[in-house]
Amino acid sequence: MLGWLLLFVVVPTLMLVVISFCERDSLGRVIFTFSTENYVRAFDWMWLKILGISVWYAFLTTVICLLLGYPVAYFIGRSSERVRGLLIMLVMIPFWTSFLVRTYAWISILSQEGLLNAALTSMRIVSEPIGFLYTPFAVVLGLVYNFLPFMILPIYTSVEKLDNSLIEAAYDLGARPARVFGQIVLPLTQPGIAAGILLVFVPAIAMFAITTLMGGGTNPTIGEVIQNQFTKARNQPFGAALGVLLLVIFIFSLWLSTKFRRAEDQ
Amino acid sequence: MKKHTTLLSAAIAGAMLLAGCGKKDDTLNLFVWTEYVPQAVLDKFTEETGIKVAMETYSSNEEMTQKLFAGGGNYDLIQPSEYTVEALIKDNYLQPLDHAKIPNLKNLAPEFREMPFDPGNKYSVPWLSGFVGITYNAETIPGPVVGYSDVFTANNAGRIVTLDDSRELVSWAMTASGLPINDVTDENLEKIKPLLQDWMSKIKVFDSDSPKTSLSNGDVDIGVIWSGEGAILFNQNPKFQWVLPAEGFHMFIDSLAIPKTAKNKEMAEEFINFILRPDIGKMILDEFPYYSPNAEARKLLSDAERNNPASYPPGLDITKALLFKDVGAQGSKVDELITSLKVQ
Repeated sequence: MLGWLLLFVVVPTLMLVVISFCERDSLGRVIFTFSTENYVRAFDWMWLKILGISVWYAFLTTVICLLLGYPVAYFIGRSSERVRGLLIMLVMIPFWTSFLVRTYAWISILSQEGLLNAALTSMRIVSEPIGFLYTPFAVVLGLVYNFLPFMILPIYTSVEKLDNSLIEAAYDLGARPARVFGQIVLPLTQPGIAAGILLVFVPAIAMFAITTLMGGGTNPTIGEVIQNQFTKARNQPFGAALGVLLLVIFIFSLWLSTKFRRAEDQ
Repeated sequence: MKKHTTLLSAAIAGAMLLAGCGKKDDTLNLFVWTEYVPQAVLDKFTEETGIKVAMETYSSNEEMTQKLFAGGGNYDLIQPSEYTVEALIKDNYLQPLDHAKIPNLKNLAPEFREMPFDPGNKYSVPWLSGFVGITYNAETIPGPVVGYSDVFTANNAGRIVTLDDSRELVSWAMTASGLPINDVTDENLEKIKPLLQDWMSKIKVFDSDSPKTSLSNGDVDIGVIWSGEGAILFNQNPKFQWVLPAEGFHMFIDSLAIPKTAKNKEMAEEFINFILRPDIGKMILDEFPYYSPNAEARKLLSDAERNNPASYPPGLDITKALLFKDVGAQGSKVDELITSLKVQ
């Protein structure tokens, strides 16, 4: 276990940190010196703004996933055991294909001459095709679609474990459905919600392929920018510095969520 | 003790992973652009020579050089563009070609034998070349479309696709401002910034990999894209017209070259000689209708293929074509300028 951790977590992270303090030559080769220039540059407003946009997209994605995913997870978790397995499998099936293939499918649905516009115009709901694709709407749609199962699955696990007698007792004591939900169900499924939020929010910040394909590349996200530094911009050290900053944000949000959970337990 | 065994087994597993990456010496390892080398050509090469071919792909010159320098794979042949050939020669990273092994070099059109980045094809042999120009949907864009100033108009705002390539975008703005495209100095970047800012606010889609998609799907009506993509669009529907920008046009030349780390130089030269054969050149053009540097292969094209305005622009004067030179570390500034304008 320790060996695996060392090989796949510690060594790559250390490499990232080391490279982030280096420089590079004109062909993009890393020159091993010590320089803090990359970090100075990373705190320019432009990169921070890109980070801000990425966090905003990830936040929207998380909120929408929670609003859509919770009812679905609750419904699955409360249905009979036979149906449950089937429904969970339906949630999982999209994972059997690459997310890139599924994103291309969305492109052919949303484009001007795509399926959705063809349906809307033939039913005379709209007279002119609507430009769904290459908008912030399309970006968030792509992210929500991709990350929704990561919200459903942990919440489902919490719902499945719900003690029915507690809910029945609440009803017996005269609580209305809203109160039962707010005071019994929600607190008991809170670990699932926290896990779901973390599983969606953190990877959504750094996502790059979906945002480029669905957004038309007009609004760069931090994932795209980092990828660019490692390839087109020939600047691995700067890309590494941005990567380290992102890592710090991830560790911070992880720490925040465990602290939050511990406070709940006490 | 237990700790040691886990560490050891992890190290062994790692070593095995690395060993798995090495390929046998009887295989020719290609490292080439995506959507550029037909599998049929590789199969035919194997069929005729018995040499197995393994292909890996990249989607930018920089991606290729980064991977090359990282030293992961043993590539025998790479496919850099003109400015990268120039930079790699300067860096002593390419092996000189043995022309005695490549008699088919005679098939190259004369203008491709004296390119400024590698005069006399000492280190590189052109694979395909092409242009960056304007494609527009003649049914929705009222003409005439002549140059960049007709693309980035107020009327076309939100209907434009361009390559997602910082160097390209900057070079178009420099051309439109009358600046030489290889003088990528800080002052010149500052000079073209307002023009670029205006242009970029009107672009709906940035896409280098498949810019034809957004045009054929009807999401945009006009674009500045690769000529091969424009040629495919024209073949799909002649409403997609092609124009070389009047202000000046960029020509790219992607060449085969042998990196100094290559293990199979002779096989690589045999492959270069093979693709210079007219029939093989035609096979490549069947799938990727770019501008062929192979004069003999061009003779095998049908009239329809030769008359495709994007592949072979009418009235083309190749001496007017603008070629990229390597801009070195300044590339990072170019990228930063484009990124900052995207964010605004």
